[in-house]
Amino acid sequence: MTTSQASARAATPPGSARSAAGHDASGCDASGYDASGRGDQRLWRWIAFAPALAMMVALSVLPIANLVVTSFQNITWADGQATRSWVGLTHYRALFSDNLFAAGLSNTVIFALAAVAGQMVLAFAMALMVSKIGRGRVLYRAIFILPLLIPGIVIGAIWKLMLNFDFGLVNKALGLFGVMPHDWLGSPETALLSVIVVDIWHWTPFCFLLFLAGLESLPQDVFEAAKMDGAGPWQELAYVTLPLMVPTIIVTFAFRLIVAFKVFDEVYLLTGGGPGTSTEVLSFTLYQRFFTEDKAGYGSAMSVAIIFLVSILLVVAISARRGTGRQP
Amino acid sequence: MTRNIRIPRRTVLKGLGAAGLGGALAPLSWRPLHAASVAPITIVINQSPWFDSFRKTVEAYEAETGNKVELDVNPFAGSLEKQRNSVRSREGQYDILIMNSGWFTEMYAGGFVDAITDIDPGFQLDPDLYTLNDTIYYNAQKKSLTSDGKLMSIPVSPLIPMLYYRGDLYEEAGLTVPKTFDELEANARKLHNPPGMYGIVQRGARGPATVSYDFYPYLYGFGGGIFKNQSEGDFTVTLNSPEGRAALDYYIRLAKEAGHPKTAANDQANVIQAMVTGTAAHVMMVISAVSQMDDPDKSAVVDKVEYAVPPSAPGLPTAPALGHWLAGISRNVPDERKRAAVEFLRWFQTKDAQLETARAGGVPVNAAVYKEPIAEERQYRWMKPLAQALPHAVNSYQFPEASEVIAVLELGLNRAVAGEIGSVEALNGMAGEIEKIMAGHNYSTGQLSPLQ
Repeated sequence: MTTSQASARAATPPGSARSAAGHDASGCDASGYDASGRGDQRLWRWIAFAPALAMMVALSVLPIANLVVTSFQNITWADGQATRSWVGLTHYRALFSDNLFAAGLSNTVIFALAAVAGQMVLAFAMALMVSKIGRGRVLYRAIFILPLLIPGIVIGAIWKLMLNFDFGLVNKALGLFGVMPHDWLGSPETALLSVIVVDIWHWTPFCFLLFLAGLESLPQDVFEAAKMDGAGPWQELAYVTLPLMVPTIIVTFAFRLIVAFKVFDEVYLLTGGGPGTSTEVLSFTLYQRFFTEDKAGYGSAMSVAIIFLVSILLVVAISARRGTGRQP
Repeated sequence: MTRNIRIPRRTVLKGLGAAGLGGALAPLSWRPLHAASVAPITIVINQSPWFDSFRKTVEAYEAETGNKVELDVNPFAGSLEKQRNSVRSREGQYDILIMNSGWFTEMYAGGFVDAITDIDPGFQLDPDLYTLNDTIYYNAQKKSLTSDGKLMSIPVSPLIPMLYYRGDLYEEAGLTVPKTFDELEANARKLHNPPGMYGIVQRGARGPATVSYDFYPYLYGFGGGIFKNQSEGDFTVTLNSPEGRAALDYYIRLAKEAGHPKTAANDQANVIQAMVTGTAAHVMMVISAVSQMDDPDKSAVVDKVEYAVPPSAPGLPTAPALGHWLAGISRNVPDERKRAAVEFLRWFQTKDAQLETARAGGVPVNAAVYKEPIAEERQYRWMKPLAQALPHAVNSYQFPEASEVIAVLELGLNRAVAGEIGSVEALNGMAGEIEKIMAGHNYSTGQLSPLQ
């Protein structure tokens, strides 16, 4: 018996415990409830559960079901009225020949992996440093989390100015070292990289906060034991800190990866998906197809595909978390 | 349909007095001298360089008639989304939709706007109003934009691109105004001295209607086009013709050799910025940006910018693409508000109202204004070349699925300008995709043999 099970059993009133045991053994509880009594209990459970279930169906299941149904249809308008026609799997098949979708998928994977990897490394280093600082920890923490508090639209404005070809601070700074100005957002070679850098700047504080919380909750006696055994700073990091932080790292990575997969605002504000398809990402492709081109059926199929891809990430993340949970 | 218009006594007396005076002085005009007092209306509109002039014209209408007009101002894409949401609901939020050339056909064909003459059979179009390739009419049977159709809208802004050039630099260098693309290229090369001065700054970014709109004057000016004959229902894609290739090669060469290094990322704001900050010798820019050129608060080149009709290939006429805005009346608003919207449009189309628009920095939709003394004033030096170019304006899309085609053009052209793909690959690729779109919507279509 685990500690939590024991506590729960201990906290349960004797009558209730008997009742539960009685049901399990004979189908008739100690207070005299028969089979129809169990039926009443089941009914009441459902009645109590119904509002929550109805709300979940209305808010989650129905919209997604509607999306799935629409993904098999075409919607056309005439005389101000919509006409829906069934097209089967046409939209799903079309996804495979949609160059924009392919570019969006490929760039999204690159973007998500590169941005999240950058954020993880930077955030871990920052969290490690702040966790070692005695004085001014609150100040550093406040400074480091600042980008997280800035609205996305402001971040777009900040970096559009920073990376401006003619008067951006980045080119001005490079000019001091004799480097010619570069079109960071307009060049196919650097546009995606620039958006990744902005995303790293924006989201590193989020990882930093999670890592700092993780580091501060690590048991100090392990570190003291390592020191007594003569472990240096690097050995302590490699053999004590990192192994203990693995669950936090995996959760942070998974969480960020899922959010990075849904990137839209930074791309929309900084590059509009261009130049060409160099910063095309899935959310932007969906925006283009569904909203700009008004292709509700095809856009719905694309939405379902994106939900499916994000769900895979979610399943992988949960599996990884469970895997680390079994570790000692 | 019974009319239920509330007319205050003062307005009646003013109207009678004015009508009496007008009758004594001249034959009875086709136009009422005063708009009727009607219900408040709401107009959904985009935030464009010409918006301020529209707002001031609306204020003049309110002051003159006492009627109320509410403006819902949005970014370009946001305006379309709001319009779609409104016209597809049971009762619309907006009485007048300000529709762009990229989506007005969607509104006509979808049955989202009512014919003005259905709301008011007595409505008469001002004879001097620009009909802009007859895009204000729609024939639902033929699915065509032709004058045998119903009157669906009134032009709000007759926007086409014009050639803006630095008159002072031309004078210093002894250059003449270019009429052909070769002359434009030669002048741009001569004045190209980066990073302080770029021979030409183009709008090559991918957007809702960005690089495609910038490219059209070149495409049409070289004798190319997107479709064979839209008015006749022939949607054979001709984009990848030799003329189309010549236009795209020229456009890219201009960008690379006499243009801005970030052409592929330049949107309209960047191009205007380059001109007003004095770092562009030429831009091919929508005419509505003129108001910013001589504004001392915004411009470093006050009184230095001149305007000309867009150049073309030798022997071909100038062919700027329409990027105009039209005002249509939502079908799903109460009759009272529809009639109020008609009253506003009846007033808006007149020469007097359009003079107001011009003085407020806008571009008039009434040809009579261009013959007024105002067109001779230095401040309005853009009026004469615009009046020359407008009759040659080309409407790029006559079908409701235009937004899908624009998306293909925006991506393909942007990739070509950015150097991701060559012009032949871009044109063949776009032609193939456009044919697929048109075939998917059951249009009579096809395409030329691929360019080699």
